[in-house]
Amino acid sequence: MIDRHDETQELLAGYVLQSLSGEDAAEADRLLTEHVPDCSECRMMLDAFQAVAGELALEAEPATPPDTLLPRIHREMDTRGRPGIRWTPGRLVAAAASVVLVVGAGGMALSQLEDRKTAQVPAADVQGLADFVVQHPTLLRQPLGGNAQEISARGVQELYVYGRGVPFPAPGLVYRLWAVSAHHATHLRDFLPYPDGTVLVRLAIDPSTFDHLLVTVEPAGSEPSEPGDPAWPEAG
Amino acid sequence: MRDSDREDLELHRRLSSGDRGAFDELYGRYAGSAYGLAYRVTGQQILAQDVVHDAFMALWRTPEAYDPARGPFRTFFLALVHHRAVDLVRRESRLHARSERAANLEPLVGEDPADAIAEESYLGVRRKEVREALAGLPPEQRQVLEMAYFGGKTQVQIAEELGIPLGTVKTRTFAAMRKLRAALEETG
Ligand SMILES: [Zn+2]
Repeated sequence: MIDRHDETQELLAGYVLQSLSGEDAAEADRLLTEHVPDCSECRMMLDAFQAVAGELALEAEPATPPDTLLPRIHREMDTRGRPGIRWTPGRLVAAAASVVLVVGAGGMALSQLEDRKTAQVPAADVQGLADFVVQHPTLLRQPLGGNAQEISARGVQELYVYGRGVPFPAPGLVYRLWAVSAHHATHLRDFLPYPDGTVLVRLAIDPSTFDHLLVTVEPAGSEPSEPGDPAWPEAG
Repeated sequence: MRDSDREDLELHRRLSSGDRGAFDELYGRYAGSAYGLAYRVTGQQILAQDVVHDAFMALWRTPEAYDPARGPFRTFFLALVHHRAVDLVRRESRLHARSERAANLEPLVGEDPADAIAEESYLGVRRKEVREALAGLPPEQRQVLEMAYFGGKTQVQIAEELGIPLGTVKTRTFAAMRKLRAALEETG
């Protein structure tokens, strides 16, 4: 049998350089969520390689950015809030529309959801999750049913819904994700598993602003006014 | 730990409590390295600006993403810049066939030599060590490393371009990273 750590660390070297794709990326993703968190040797190597990746930056010739860049950043700091601001449930509702936008590559229109049946999990998304997992040692995992889980970290305004072997809903139906608080549910987005049954949804929201996530199954393209049937009732 | 790393830690601590002066100081320290790196990877000034902008905004919004227990701020932040630059290049390359760049970049214009000197005195020593460590790699290892890191290429693409097996790319990358780690830990 091949030495597990060596094999893992060879993948980690490619991973920190963001140069993995296809099966290697999927394997690194698996190792980063299943092996590395519990293996001090591989964690140490990952940290060391991350540090090398940071140091390599210095090989590039430094250059002064345009004078307009810092003022542009300052303006945005004024309008987009400061660190540590907590979203109340009310603000979350008000911001729901923009939340759906900030999920980025994952925040696609309903018409594009169907394309997922032929699409692959983007390597960048997988790396994003893997980064999140290794950067936050105090990870919170909450099963959602259907082999999916919510992965978050306290005080971090970012969370993931991640699952492998997630069943497809019946044709014409999609999964719909809600943030549920005491008496209301905020629609976050709709999603379908990738063809291999992987679900990977990144949300730029603070997990402390709602009680729990809920996944329902709904007709594709329907108005997300209130949650319908839970997709995976076994989650309780 | 170097003095500059210790100062960074203090600046990060102040930034985390919303101190804009600390933010500006970190910008002064790292904007030049970040912009040079982003330009080297993306090959376009406008994209490089976006990368640096996004990286500093991410730092301001979620300073807790940096965990001091896991290494100096400098490597965390520049790795973040690199990550974003590669992401951007990948996204762009899906939209347009990527033009030949990276190998022969135009020098940046409008550079203020005084700024560059200030930056150099701060990171100059480490920059020299990194360059020496890279120069110490066997050429075939340095080649795959630079194609990945500065070219934003996947190992599969590198194997195709060089006409070598994917396994060879992996082995060379792993060997290069281990050597760099050893060399940089010795001097760091
Ligand atoms: Zn291990």
